[in-house]
Amino acid sequence: MPFNTNFFDGKTSRTHRATVHISSLNWRISYVDEYNSPIDILWKSENIKKTDVYTKGLVSFSYGDMFTFQRIESSDKAFIDFINNSEHKNLNSSLDVLLHRSKNKSLTVLLLTLVGLAVIMYFYIIPAVATGFASTLSKENVIDFGDYVFRVITTDLDIDEEASVKLQAFVDEMKIESTFPLQVYVAKSSEMNAFALSGGKMIIFSSLLEKIENEAQLTALIGHEVSHIENRHMLKNLARNLGGGIFVSVLFGDVNGATTVLMDNAHMFTQLSYTRRLEKEADIFGLDIMRNNDVDLHGMPQLFEILQKKSPIDVPTYLSNHPMLKDRIDYTKQIARDQKGVLINSVLKEKWSKIQQAY
Amino acid sequence: MEVISERSMTKPTIKYFGKGAEFAIIYFKNIILTIITFGLYYPWAKVEILKYHYQSTELDQTRFSFHATGKEVFRGFIKVYVVFILLYAFLFYALQTQNSFLMFSAIGFFYLFILLIIPFAIHGAVRYRSSRSSWKGIHFKYLGNRTEFFWMYVKGLLITILTLGIYGAWFQVDIRKYIFSHLRFGDLSFDFKGNGGDLFIINLKFIVLVYLTLGIYTFWYYRNMLRFYVNNIRVYQSGREVKFKTNMQAGDVFELIFINVLLIVFTLGIATPWVAVRTLQFFFRFLEIEGELDANVIQQAKYDDYDDATGDDALDFFDIDLL
Repeated sequence: MPFNTNFFDGKTSRTHRATVHISSLNWRISYVDEYNSPIDILWKSENIKKTDVYTKGLVSFSYGDMFTFQRIESSDKAFIDFINNSEHKNLNSSLDVLLHRSKNKSLTVLLLTLVGLAVIMYFYIIPAVATGFASTLSKENVIDFGDYVFRVITTDLDIDEEASVKLQAFVDEMKIESTFPLQVYVAKSSEMNAFALSGGKMIIFSSLLEKIENEAQLTALIGHEVSHIENRHMLKNLARNLGGGIFVSVLFGDVNGATTVLMDNAHMFTQLSYTRRLEKEADIFGLDIMRNNDVDLHGMPQLFEILQKKSPIDVPTYLSNHPMLKDRIDYTKQIARDQKGVLINSVLKEKWSKIQQAY
Repeated sequence: MEVISERSMTKPTIKYFGKGAEFAIIYFKNIILTIITFGLYYPWAKVEILKYHYQSTELDQTRFSFHATGKEVFRGFIKVYVVFILLYAFLFYALQTQNSFLMFSAIGFFYLFILLIIPFAIHGAVRYRSSRSSWKGIHFKYLGNRTEFFWMYVKGLLITILTLGIYGAWFQVDIRKYIFSHLRFGDLSFDFKGNGGDLFIINLKFIVLVYLTLGIYTFWYYRNMLRFYVNNIRVYQSGREVKFKTNMQAGDVFELIFINVLLIVFTLGIATPWVAVRTLQFFFRFLEIEGELDANVIQQAKYDDYDDATGDDALDFFDIDLL
């Protein structure tokens, strides 16, 4: 059965009303040209290219590998039906024909697949890949990265050299099995804070050090920070944050500002919950370090009480990257209660008294 | 079978036939394929999406057609990725040496590279896209000279910087004039008749009025911009002139943007394909062609370097919008 089509010869824009006869080996296109001569053109099946993606009411094909191309374009329903039912791979995509058969069903399936994929990517694959990357990065690279961050942030920090040396002496006496060389710095600041960088560097702010009352509390603080270093928390956090952030922005970035802001904030919330998990992990690991050093585990809840006094308004857990201090005091107290006997580490006590003299 | 009469002067009309649901199926299918291939499918996705919009646009009862292939675009992407990875590697290497001379020169080189690649990207994208766009079997062709365009761009950029951005309007118009005047469709040629002064006034009015009207003026600004860009396009066929005209009002722009934003926000972006189709429908609804075109006698231009245009596909990576 011949189908109606428009034919373009690729030389001029003239529209030729033509018919196509299709056989398994070739298509014969017939029309009458402007000089009233009948023309027959043969297209070999294997060189025919479909030039449109699936759309209702249109099929178009081009012929040839070298410019210029001959072309047909048709809205003949019989032709379109024939193409949609054809089993020839060049002529249609069976997936597209299937998808467009029942639009609402297809859209539902596609959207569910998309949401499912996005959820799996965001909650499982990307975090796993990111954490895996952070865990397998070589020790040297981790140290280099930490050094780089240290150089950048210390330009804004006022390091107290003398106190740093004394605190370092304390850390050196602690029994810690560390993969990384531990270096501790005291920064002069009125802010109550301490943090650890990848690869072994820790920074303790002077006002926090002033508030600490005994060696057990200091061991708790150092233990907590060392745990961040040992478990590569900063790197894992960064990798996940970056991976998830890039994914969210790729998925929603092209759309528009409002959605992007919404999604970025949602992403921040999930990140905060991950960071809280890391903090809890560091608390528990820190308690182990305290145990190894024979100090009173109550130093940990006491440390949190000091921090709590400083910030009387407790931010609700879901808004904060650290678990609420009250929660932390509760669970560390519970663990400390199980410790047997009152313990004193005389070496650390002596090192602590030297630090105290500086303040 | 019938013969179409020799003289076929028509007042051509342009229509867009895209349908939201149809495009959404194509769009979501391609996003899913892109995700499960970790982005490798993106060039194919991009080509299919562009093809849909081209084939949905009809001029004088014939659809436009886009002939790029995912393979060509993919090859281009690989080239650009390699260059960028090398560039970033150099940048990171320089940053971690802490050598200030090396650091500054790396950063300088990086930004200079980004800035100077833009004219090449525009040239490449226009050349590649036009060679792959056709109507009635006739392909577009871009005859611009890369070196000439590059120096024009550098000059314009420098003057724009020196005049604190004031020259920007003239610069933009110069780029557009260059591209249009070097574009061919078979034996048809194009031009852009706008001038920098008019664009400058449009921008100036926007800056002054947008704050006074608490942003409401934005809709008039969009309308003015569209009119400026569309109404100044000329097409020439053997001495005859064809003009484009768009006659939308600020209220129309408001309706378009307001509904688009609502759709996107309340569906968390799921409405994106419907919004894309709505926007194109809107654009073509107001687009008129003035003057007559003989749609049957356009001669295909010689294209000795049709395949060579893939040399520029790399630069299509930058996704410059040519509509």
